[in-house]
Amino acid sequence: MLLGAARVSLWSMTNQTTQDEEQLAQPSTGDVGPEPVLAFRGVTKRFGGATALDGVDFELLPGEIHGLVGENGAGKSTLMKILSGVHVPDEGEMLLRGEPVRFSSPAEAKARGIGMIYQELSCMPALTVAENVFLGSQPMTRAGLIDWKRMRTESGEHLSSLGIDVDVASRLGALSLGGQQLVEIARVVFSGASIIVLDEPTSALSGPEAKRLFAAMAELKARGASLVFISHFLEDVIAVSDRVTVLKNSRKVATLPNEGLTKHRLIQLMIGRDADALAESYEGGVTLPPPSAATPMLEVRGLGMTGSFSDVSFAARPGEILGIFGNLGAGMTEVARVLFGRERPTSGEMRLDGKPVAPKRTSEAKRLGIAYLSENRRATVFPRHEIYKNITLAHLDQIVGGIVRKPREVAIAAELVQRTGVRPPRPTLAAGNLSGGNQQKVALAKWLTVQPKVLILNEPTRGMDVGAKREVLDLIKALRAEGVAIILISTEPETVLAESDRIFVMSKGRIAREFAGERVSKDLLMSYA
Amino acid sequence: MAQRQTAVAWASRNARLLAPLLTLICMIIFFSIVTPVFRTTQNLQNVITQIAPIAVAATGITFVLLCAEIDLSIASVATFTGVVAAWFWVGDTVALGAWGIPVALLVAAGIGLLNGYLVAYVGIPSFMMTLAMLTIARGMSIFVSEGKPIFEVPPILKSLGSVSSQFLGIPVIGLFALGVVILGDFVLSYTKFGRYVYMTGANREAAEMSGVNTRQVVMMSLVISAITAGLTGLLFIGRLSSANPSAGDDILIQTIAAVVLGGTSLFGGEGGMRNTILGLLIYGVLSNGLNLLPNIPITFKLALQGIVLLAALLLNVFALRIERVQTRAE
Repeated sequence: MLLGAARVSLWSMTNQTTQDEEQLAQPSTGDVGPEPVLAFRGVTKRFGGATALDGVDFELLPGEIHGLVGENGAGKSTLMKILSGVHVPDEGEMLLRGEPVRFSSPAEAKARGIGMIYQELSCMPALTVAENVFLGSQPMTRAGLIDWKRMRTESGEHLSSLGIDVDVASRLGALSLGGQQLVEIARVVFSGASIIVLDEPTSALSGPEAKRLFAAMAELKARGASLVFISHFLEDVIAVSDRVTVLKNSRKVATLPNEGLTKHRLIQLMIGRDADALAESYEGGVTLPPPSAATPMLEVRGLGMTGSFSDVSFAARPGEILGIFGNLGAGMTEVARVLFGRERPTSGEMRLDGKPVAPKRTSEAKRLGIAYLSENRRATVFPRHEIYKNITLAHLDQIVGGIVRKPREVAIAAELVQRTGVRPPRPTLAAGNLSGGNQQKVALAKWLTVQPKVLILNEPTRGMDVGAKREVLDLIKALRAEGVAIILISTEPETVLAESDRIFVMSKGRIAREFAGERVSKDLLMSYA
Repeated sequence: MAQRQTAVAWASRNARLLAPLLTLICMIIFFSIVTPVFRTTQNLQNVITQIAPIAVAATGITFVLLCAEIDLSIASVATFTGVVAAWFWVGDTVALGAWGIPVALLVAAGIGLLNGYLVAYVGIPSFMMTLAMLTIARGMSIFVSEGKPIFEVPPILKSLGSVSSQFLGIPVIGLFALGVVILGDFVLSYTKFGRYVYMTGANREAAEMSGVNTRQVVMMSLVISAITAGLTGLLFIGRLSSANPSAGDDILIQTIAAVVLGGTSLFGGEGGMRNTILGLLIYGVLSNGLNLLPNIPITFKLALQGIVLLAALLLNVFALRIERVQTRAE
């Protein structure tokens, strides 16, 4: 029935939604399902005047993977913070295996078998995999020393029973991000967690890594653990979840069974408004415009860096967005770092405006007119410093002259804060107070104080909600119209598809395919990555 | 009510400056009441003369700490610079007269450049590099002076360093130090380089990814620190009228203590010259005031000084916690 609804026009879909919601608001009507292992009943949480959760009901069944989706600020994190003992609800109750509970600290929640896996991993990269699995509960020999042998054997058995294939003696930091994440999950399970919350676990994983994660999740589920899976990647949510709960503006919209669930439908429930425009770039594919004939601004020939990428050749033209898509580890970030002078290439050449260049330092690349927004927020933002200082840093001398004066800086920053849509738009606020998406906008604003010739954007919209993404993409379009040559790098096909004029797919350090002037879809892009 | 809230918010935001300021005011009031000698003009001139050389070195070390680096060689570099200037003045081997002063400063700058290059471009941690340089510079002082104090120093340094040379009642050495401190504040607060120093210390990778040449910034900070250390050495030989190759070791601890007391972070990016000025005054008032206290055994004074410093540091830590909470709440 739901599948049918998704195919009819938007209007009737909206009506359909209301019906479904009513129908789905009481999932247990009629049949006697299994007792939920965890239940929220009418949970409300306020912060000062703002309501973060408004009468939310949520049920987690034993042996279930439950997807939790919603735009940024919809209340997902608050809900999970109540579960993990960070916050205490103002109203409503939380039942753990039928018994009302109230956690006053994360340690209490942990003791009751609730495990959290956050986006930022909390493992120790300098220790071995075995030590990480046993973190805080190392087995001891009778002499009171750490029992290394037992630690290795048991952690090895534990990992392989979860289908995780890593060497327990290797340093955790030597594993890929996906591998580290699996070890963290193993650790949480090992410490006795039976309710496991995964917050955006796939956002930095490549396709195969995500598959490994899903396999481990399925294994946990088969063992009777219950998992909450929070993600912006709706395909991932649909792929693994038994049921999905959608939050919007602090309220629960619906809990839907997996059967017949589509991404389109989830998006519609999440944003609750016209999803057509989005759906086009997400699902149907786009037709790229005929290639530009403008003289290239940046030309790269046979660029390579041993161990990272090789034989990369392309041209970026003014007034054009060149999209580069690939999985994590495909070498896109490394190419960008070379273009920006942060890394030295081992082969190949670069030309800027027809002249050969080889920036040895970022400061040199900046002077040449190359700007780079890193994908790593820790490498772009100064959280303890004011927004205006973050923004003026890159071109301080050019924009304020010899003597740095605060009013002038603030005025320049205020304009850019407006232009990039940073909220709240207060240049004197410390940047660390902003949400992740807004910090990213500040980092982008930094490169707009002086118009760059080439602007390289690596994941400029990662972690942003739908509205913020649109704002940033519109800004990028405006820069294109002003004649900037833009290189847009992303591991999200949607981002690359949305506005690119030409698209490269990178795979294993090489350009696998170039798309220009033709129809290209998400599937097609992903098939070359 | 709203006004009061704003005042509280303002105070917590500026806790990094207000905490040391409060400490300073309390100390001044305390010593003024307990020892009448404290507020005499002559004693205040003493305080200024005592902290002036430290203030100069503290200016340079502020740059280094803001960069999240350290310079342990400042005391040895100060001594070495003094010895070199005196050695050229005596001129048994090479006689340069008063020209020995700028040459000695160039030597100091050269040491700073070596420190800076090896730290920023070669990658030796500044702690280890400047520890090695501490030993090298101390050894060179002993080598050049043949291990003996040099009792002849350029008269211009003597008149600069003496308490009796005053301008409008203020010791000239104090005015000199004030000039250096103000220049330091100007560079840190109002120039591109100063901003680069802060941002390099706050997040080196982000500074680098903003096109800041962070290696150059670190190197230049160590050069500045060596030059100000050299100036401190010159002020010292002026004040003491001799260059002693085995003196001056306590400059290092005094300088770093003063800067950190003022609230500049040892981890970079936060603090500044205004903090350093407060830290210097606290340090100066404390060591001077404790010496004037009656009824305290002289043998206990050093320990007492340490205890008071510890209390001031605790106050800073507490104040910074408030500041952080306030920033987050906004």
